[in-house]
Amino acid sequence: MIVKRTLWFMLVLLLIVVGCQHKEKRYKLHGQVLEKDPASNEVTVDHQEIPGFMAAMTMPYEVKDADAMREMQPGDVIEADVATANGGKDYWLEHVRITDRSGRQSAKVGTVHHLDIGEPVPDFPLTNQDGKTFKLGDLRGKAVLMGFIYTRCPMPNFCPRLSSQFSKINEDLSKTPDDLNRTQLLSVSFDPKYDTAPVLRKYGLAYLDNNPAGFSHWEFASTDPADLRNLAEAFGLEFFEEGNQISHTMVIVLIAPDGKVAKYWGTEWTAAELEDALRKEMRTVKTAAISEERTGQ
Amino acid sequence: MNRQVMGLLVLLSTVFAVACSDRADGLTDSERNGKSLFILNCAPCHEDSNPELKVHPPRLNGMFSTGKLPSGEPATDEQVRETLVHGRGIMPAFDQRLTKDDVTDILNYLHTLK
Repeated sequence: MIVKRTLWFMLVLLLIVVGCQHKEKRYKLHGQVLEKDPASNEVTVDHQEIPGFMAAMTMPYEVKDADAMREMQPGDVIEADVATANGGKDYWLEHVRITDRSGRQSAKVGTVHHLDIGEPVPDFPLTNQDGKTFKLGDLRGKAVLMGFIYTRCPMPNFCPRLSSQFSKINEDLSKTPDDLNRTQLLSVSFDPKYDTAPVLRKYGLAYLDNNPAGFSHWEFASTDPADLRNLAEAFGLEFFEEGNQISHTMVIVLIAPDGKVAKYWGTEWTAAELEDALRKEMRTVKTAAISEERTGQ
Repeated sequence: MNRQVMGLLVLLSTVFAVACSDRADGLTDSERNGKSLFILNCAPCHEDSNPELKVHPPRLNGMFSTGKLPSGEPATDEQVRETLVHGRGIMPAFDQRLTKDDVTDILNYLHTLK
């Protein structure tokens, strides 16, 4: 009798334990793949609202199914399950189904751009954090690292990461006045309605350790909406407003001192890579200057 | 015996249902909504901070129970609401993303974190 009762008790206890451990939840996702990173098994998806889990936004998701990862391409429209664990802190895509592949050819994402490397950058007009207008062409003669941001961006792997790493590069270059003179950092907002000059100034100061003198080497700028569309198209930036937020890709551009596009990055980069590339272009300034001096002699 | 076993099953099933239910967290509806909003908007930085950020956002547990914000300032609803709405340092403003009620729900949830 006691054995039987104990068995019943253990069975029910087992049910409770197993039942309580099964805390994974799944939600339906519908969206378009913007970027694919096979190295990290992640795809960046611009998706509709996921009821009960997430508002409509663009963000990276891990894909555990190797076949699905291989099959998906930027531009694909997909349906998938978002599997979650640990109360939503861990999440990944499962049961991915590609519902439309027609966007593959026309997908303008990541580093896909109209301006090829080596092409001169048009003279886009910009307004900086102090309300001063200038043109991209005004920066000729310097190696320019330009990134696109919006100050309200809440995604730590996007704009806050970009600005944080630009801050690190800025600090490194600030150690040598000659490096500062030959380089320029530029953060361009694609949210001109919200990112007015005072907002950009406040944002910039947070990354410049509240030192306004830093703006001479790292400017924060925006432009009017019409010019912004041209600017985005030229550099392959994709962005659109969704509710009160902006979904966007990440684009960083290195502009050579001669005003030509030298290199692009999407989401895969490190501050060291950006700084190395910037310094490499920076050295051409010195070389050109030395050549001119020698020619003059 | 059968009656005893059935009784035990009913009892344990009830315990199971309560223990595994989303409502077993002891949170009010506002706090529960605040928790969801916290996971979506705050946790990506404050719980699983990206090491590449210039400043590593602090965890927010115990803020109200200790009475001090991570900055050392007094922890008041007004101060936290102001920070959430207008941002602070590298923390972005959430005024366009969260409604006034959303912020209230997040505040209520933050009060439950020990």
